[in-house]
Amino acid sequence: MRLALLREILANLARKPATLKYPVAREVTVAPGFRGKHYADLVKCIGCSLCAVDCPANAITMEKLPQPLKQNQRGIFPVVDYGKCVFCYQCVFVCPVKAYIVTEVFEMADHVIGTSRDISLSTIKGGGSA
Amino acid sequence: MVIVEIPIGPQHPALHEPIMLKVRTEGEEVVEVSVNTGYNHRGIEKLLEKNSWVRGMYISGRVCGICNAVHMQTYVQGVEKLMGVEPPPRANYIRTLVMELERIHSHMLVAAVMAEIIGFDTLFMLLMRDRERVMYLKELVTGNRVHADIHMLGGVKRDLDEVRRDRILSELKIVEERIKYYMKVFEEDYTIMKRLSEVGVIRKSEALRLSIVGPTLRASGIKSDVRSDDPYAAYSEIPFNVVSRDEGDSWARMMVRFGEALESVSIARYTVEKLPQGPAIPKTIPRATKPGEVISRVEAPRGELLYHIVSVGGANPYRVKIRTPSFLNILNTEKVYIGHRLADVPVIFASYDPCISCTERVMVIDEKSGKKTYVSMRDLARVRVG
Repeated sequence: MRLALLREILANLARKPATLKYPVAREVTVAPGFRGKHYADLVKCIGCSLCAVDCPANAITMEKLPQPLKQNQRGIFPVVDYGKCVFCYQCVFVCPVKAYIVTEVFEMADHVIGTSRDISLSTIKGGGSA
Repeated sequence: MVIVEIPIGPQHPALHEPIMLKVRTEGEEVVEVSVNTGYNHRGIEKLLEKNSWVRGMYISGRVCGICNAVHMQTYVQGVEKLMGVEPPPRANYIRTLVMELERIHSHMLVAAVMAEIIGFDTLFMLLMRDRERVMYLKELVTGNRVHADIHMLGGVKRDLDEVRRDRILSELKIVEERIKYYMKVFEEDYTIMKRLSEVGVIRKSEALRLSIVGPTLRASGIKSDVRSDDPYAAYSEIPFNVVSRDEGDSWARMMVRFGEALESVSIARYTVEKLPQGPAIPKTIPRATKPGEVISRVEAPRGELLYHIVSVGGANPYRVKIRTPSFLNILNTEKVYIGHRLADVPVIFASYDPCISCTERVMVIDEKSGKKTYVSMRDLARVRVG
């Protein structure tokens, strides 16, 4: 039996390391469909606040829109605080108009508190496919 | 002979968990162990009362990182019973798949931890490397490698497509081979046998008296598994064996886990191959419950997990009581350490597969009256025991 483990160890000598040299080499890949950074597409959002009601981490706050939008009669939009968010995607699931844009971005460590405010507001002009 | 009290924990490299074992030794021999908990209390049961049924789902998943899907399953199946909602068969199969993947990686983790504790770091690295395959599968199915969050009242949040199914089947093949290999290492390796066999023996009658659950119980020769005794999700339709052994020592507990991990691989394969057609994602989220109470139980990787949910019909639960397997396995087994060497204490403790974040929610431990003396390692080195 000792030989069996020895064989395993010898086989590993020729193998490249299983660990990645992160962040020097950014070769980290996630599975397709990974729950990463998400934000509301304001072209679709109707301001119903269901996502804010259901958020278990209280990470979503509804803020006033800077300009009136036709479909959004209430004039509010959700802002996700990525520092609080637990990425359960309840907001994505509960949204009646499928307004959330999901990405596989997971590198969010920063020296400022990251929110989805700016990126959400940019969807008003960009058509929501940012 | 002088009796020396040695605190192991709450922060200790051998334990990996914030718990304190006050070990009283006479020479090298352990004469008394008292388990001191309370370092990881977060008030989750109160938090569940303060939040809606839907939010509670995610909070219950956060009780424990390793067994988050089983916690969600227990909560969700209890609440579904209160709401009178039946999940579709396809959703049940997907839930089962996620829970079994979780069991595989949990059992591989404790095997790795055990290898590290007995000083077998190579095996630890190898096990952790291969565990990553299972974590990837979980990420593929649910969208995250740790927190599955796939449960939803009345179904699941994500369906399984053909591409993912093929990938799962091919990865499971490799995982199965690796688990078989590690099982062989644990069965035949001289060092492991020396450290684990005949250490921390719990006899059959003792195991029943102490209300031990899970693989720890099954290693003492009692075939008790919620999956077969009280089937939930899709377990009533899936053929599987309940693994048990008669030795009752630390080694038998590890062997039961390996046997179970292999069974889990076959269950996971069955769920993927026989996945029923039909919808899995609910169209609307049920939000109102009838007044009443329900007991919901599930076989977590560490044993029987039990939720008692009380509803008075409002938007929030009235009370959610959680009883986790580690609670029984850690606190009821203080006597097992007695008579063993000091170096065996972490081995026995790890063989229960303890999960402290599960255990600690509401608990009061009465300290024995009398003077307690703590001896630092430096002082201990100077003490001449004779």
